[in-house]
Formats: sequence, structure tokens, C-alpha cells
Amino acid sequence: VAALQAALAAEHAAVYGYGVAGAHLHGRRRAAATADWVAHQQARDELSALLRSRAVQPVPAAVAYQLPEPVRSTRTAVALAVHLEDHVAAAYAGLVAVRDAAVRALGAGQLRASALRAAYWRGGSVAFPGLQEAQLR
Amino acid sequence: LRADPSRRALLAAAAAVPLAAAGCRGVGALAPPPRPAPDVAVLKAAIAGERQLIARYLDVAAGQHAAGLADVLDPLLAEHRQHLAQLRGRLIVPRGAASASSPAHPPAPSATASPASPAAALAALRRAEQQASAALLTGLSTVPPSLAQLLASISASEATHSAILRTAGGSR
Repeated sequence: VAALQAALAAEHAAVYGYGVAGAHLHGRRRAAATADWVAHQQARDELSALLRSRAVQPVPAAVAYQLPEPVRSTRTAVALAVHLEDHVAAAYAGLVAVRDAAVRALGAGQLRASALRAAYWRGGSVAFPGLQEAQLR
Repeated sequence: LRADPSRRALLAAAAAVPLAAAGCRGVGALAPPPRPAPDVAVLKAAIAGERQLIARYLDVAAGQHAAGLADVLDPLLAEHRQHLAQLRGRLIVPRGAASASSPAHPPAPSATASPASPAAALAALRRAEQQASAALLTGLSTVPPSLAQLLASISASEATHSAILRTAGGSR
């Protein structure tokens, strides 16, 4: 349950953050940000429903979130999207560590989706999406 | 990147015990081969998959279309080498069995015809990445949490490789 709540909290932050980033993007990037914003809303709703089905009150969204840097340009908006996806991917890697097979599969599927979005914004791939240096050896 | 001696030792012990026990009972007792733990089988399959992918990339890098594709393929190949290193770091093979199950060189790539064009080479790699990404998730529910995280992460990385190869191939 703690891992599900952490993933939900990351999705709340992503929904907020994509709203900020999208306002500073145009054309194809704006469209991509909008699509990703919708994807995070859907993921948020699925996690909330999953928690409720387990008789757990889902964590609410914060009123506002501290951004890693002010978003005033395309560059900083894209950097924010990368930051949000990395945070979301780490939270879903936490779900993959859960023993429950359905939760683990959900985590793996969303980790993949987040890595794909991050690769678009980053313009490249990373070897270990969602994992921190300390989890590697 | 750091070593985790406790886990390495644990895997080594788990793999070595059946051999040691069988040794005490003479040759006859050796007949049924020890069955590796399920996560060892999953890990070995993942390692074999990475080796195959690396061999495919090396194949293209040695082929006639190498020059134009290096900018796209080199970073992806480098990530596969990181995947392989992480996976191998989690596999401890008992002494004596090492040479049998971990060949020094990747197996020769399957007899695939040389791709006719750079686009065909990219498409073939993209299919291989998709298959490898899916295969990594088949054993996900049977392995310990930290290995599950590594497999899911590598699977996600390979899904992004597939997307990058598609973009580079111009068929997006």
C-alpha cells in the first residue's frame, strides 16, 4: 500500500507539472505534453481506484508543488518533463518490488510507459530507467 | 556501482549446495542433475538474451551499413553492455561449472541474411529489441524484488531503444 501511495503521489506531481510545462511548449511538443498529461491523469485515477478497492484512502494531491527550477522557456519545460518522468519511473520501480504479481505487472507496465515518455523528452535512452545508482552494483 | 557480498554469497551457496551434497554420496548420487532455483534460470535467460542482442548490434556494426548508423546504434549498444554487466553481476556460478555455462564469447549470431539497407537493419534490430523487452517480463513474478526491478528496468530501456530505432528508421 505504501508503494501504491508513493506512485499515486508521483502521479499527482506529474499531472501538476505537465500542466506547467505544457504552458511553455508549442506545436508538436505541446501536443506531446498534453498527451502525457492525460496519460498521467489516467494513471492517477487507476491508482486511486486500486487503493479504494483495498479500502485505503488515496493520498490527495498537494495544492502546489515545488519545481526543481522555474519554468520560463522550452528548455526548462522539457527539463521539467524529464524530471517528472524520472520521479514517476522510480515510484513504479517501487511497485515492481512488491510481491503481489498484479501490482508488480502494473509497475512494470507503467515503468515502461514512463521510460518511453522520458526518452521522447530527453531525446535518448538510459540504461536503467527508474533505478538509482545505489540499486545497481 | 558497488558489490553486495551478502547476496553474492547467498546465490553462490544456493547454487553450490546440491553439488556438495551429491558429492558425499558417490557417483551414483550424481545422476539427477541439481535443479537451479527459478530465479537463476530467469537470470540466465536474460543474460542469453542480452548476449544475442549485443551480437546483433556487432553484426550490423561490422556490416556494410555501419558508417551511417553508428550515431544511433553506438549509445544503444553501450547500454546493452551495461545491462549485461548488471545481470552477470547477479549470477554466481559454482566453481567448475563456470566454463560450461558462461562462454567467453557471445554465441555466433543466428544465420540472418545481411540486411539489404540501413532501414532494414534498423527494422531488424527494432524487432529484436521488442522481443527481448517482452521476454524479460515473462519470469517477473517468480523472482526476488531486486531482480524484478532490474529486469523491468532493462525491459523498459529496451522498449525505448525500439522507439529510438523506429524514429531513426523514419517510419514514425
